[in-house]
Amino acid sequence: MNKLKIFKNGVTTENPILVQQVGMCATLAITTSLMNGIGMGVAVIAVLTGSNIVISALRKFIPDEVRIPAFIIVIAAFTTIIDLLMHAYTFELYKALGVFIPLIVVNCIILARAEAFASKNSVMDSIIDGLGMGVGYLVAMILLSSAREILGNGTILGLRILPEAYEPMMMAIQPPGAFILLGLLIGIVNYLSRRKKA
Amino acid sequence: MELVGLFITSFIVNNIIFMQFLGTCPFLGVSKKIDTAAGMGIAVIFVITLASIITYIIHYAILVTLELEYLQTIVFILIIAALVQFVEMFLKKSAPGLYKALGIFLPLITTNCAVLGVAINNIIYEYTFVESLVYSVGISSGFLLAIVLFAGVRDKVDYADLPESLKGSAISLITAGLMSVAFLGFSGLQL
Amino acid sequence: MKNSFVRLAGVLLLIGAVSAGVLAWLNDTTKDLIAQNEAMASMDPAVLEAVMPGSVLFKEEDADFVETMKAENKQFVNLLTAVDASGNVLGKVVRTLSTIKGFNGDIEIYVGFSPDGKITGTSVLSHSETEGLGSRVTTPGFRAQFVGKDASGEISESDFDAISGATYSSKSFLSAINNAIAVYAEYVK
Repeated sequence: MNKLKIFKNGVTTENPILVQQVGMCATLAITTSLMNGIGMGVAVIAVLTGSNIVISALRKFIPDEVRIPAFIIVIAAFTTIIDLLMHAYTFELYKALGVFIPLIVVNCIILARAEAFASKNSVMDSIIDGLGMGVGYLVAMILLSSAREILGNGTILGLRILPEAYEPMMMAIQPPGAFILLGLLIGIVNYLSRRKKA
Repeated sequence: MELVGLFITSFIVNNIIFMQFLGTCPFLGVSKKIDTAAGMGIAVIFVITLASIITYIIHYAILVTLELEYLQTIVFILIIAALVQFVEMFLKKSAPGLYKALGIFLPLITTNCAVLGVAINNIIYEYTFVESLVYSVGISSGFLLAIVLFAGVRDKVDYADLPESLKGSAISLITAGLMSVAFLGFSGLQL
Repeated sequence: MKNSFVRLAGVLLLIGAVSAGVLAWLNDTTKDLIAQNEAMASMDPAVLEAVMPGSVLFKEEDADFVETMKAENKQFVNLLTAVDASGNVLGKVVRTLSTIKGFNGDIEIYVGFSPDGKITGTSVLSHSETEGLGSRVTTPGFRAQFVGKDASGEISESDFDAISGATYSSKSFLSAINNAIAVYAEYVK
């Protein structure tokens, strides 16, 4: 398959959050600020690409009967690597993301890509697929987390962009805001893709 | 008394779905009908409680003693995956009725982040064994409550006249958001 | 059948073992940094500010070095390095017990020293002095009089204002400071 197409597939056509709607827990939970959203997005890119590489490299070595537990071990190992690295080098982000870092392991998108793509394709294609899906995830995280930070706090990356007079919409950074804004975001994406088709 | 407080807090105040977002995938996926939602909820209570007990014991008896805490994620997820398989086999043989009711939900539970999330939270919050048991039952009952309530609302939403773009998961998320507002009313409840 | 089972288990075991090996190595290399991060997060910002303004962490020194110092100075507890957010060294911090007992036992304090040998601040870790009287050694007002004092020699009793009605506690606090100065003069300078 065309490399560019594989990448684009992950970012737009089959965007994990906005189109496939998988791996929502962390998306809803930690997008209270743009920094958290970017941090989580990058962590997922790393785990997804890493596990895609290893799984596609081992695809002929892993017997079909035990492929799922084998994939889970590889994904869990990469998740723990990211967990340790973030704990050591980006401590504040680590504390902000909390339990959602180890929970990357159960993010359905990663196991889904291992099963649907990496276990059937070459290492190179799997890297691109991992990056594409990961970037798609990151883009969705950036959209949602910047909307929540601007509305709920009047800031972006901690910098004030709305005037002091703006009364922050507290609900945007509280749990209901996560559900409602993600719902609206998906609605907008649906609208745009319907218009494109029409 | 403290345990009762812990139960109420984990059941309602810090509701697993509306406040903590754990297990949102099955929450959105398996909530089209009230009875399937209830089946999923009960299966989740069962697996979360069992998984919490086992991971708790393994964490303190093996990982901590051998200073292998960094293997927590791998070990926990494998335990959960194996446990779900085992429960499925067990039910199939000894309780076919229950298996018929819950069986189809079980494979979905392995990738339900609520199970791993609760197991890890038990360790992070440094709960005692009894506390972790109460927490697990409370939080998973919260899941049952949330998914059944949500399925009830969704039943009605399906008949509503909506803009095409909002149909499906978009309106589901917005509905969940409005229900979350209601649950926000419990926050700050001192027990 | 048996053969294939062995092969399946073998593959899983191999993947598991390699993963565990990689994680063990990474855990080992990041262990110190993680412990330091956690230590940093657990430090009370008020204490850091009182002892060494601008610091975010008191880093542990070489353990063997500290042990030899402990062997020679019974009241000494620990020697630490104060660093700011970007890792610059701001000075040394001595943690010590008092050498003269207070009204109800030892007082334990932190004393910060700037690189040019001046006291940057103090903080009381624990004491069992009388509440409202001897306990006033913990107040910022009392401790402020030591800030900026030169650590080249002992501070004598005439150089500071004791808390009236709490002479024992004041003297005990001073003895802890002087013990810190002694440690600083002997091992750091």
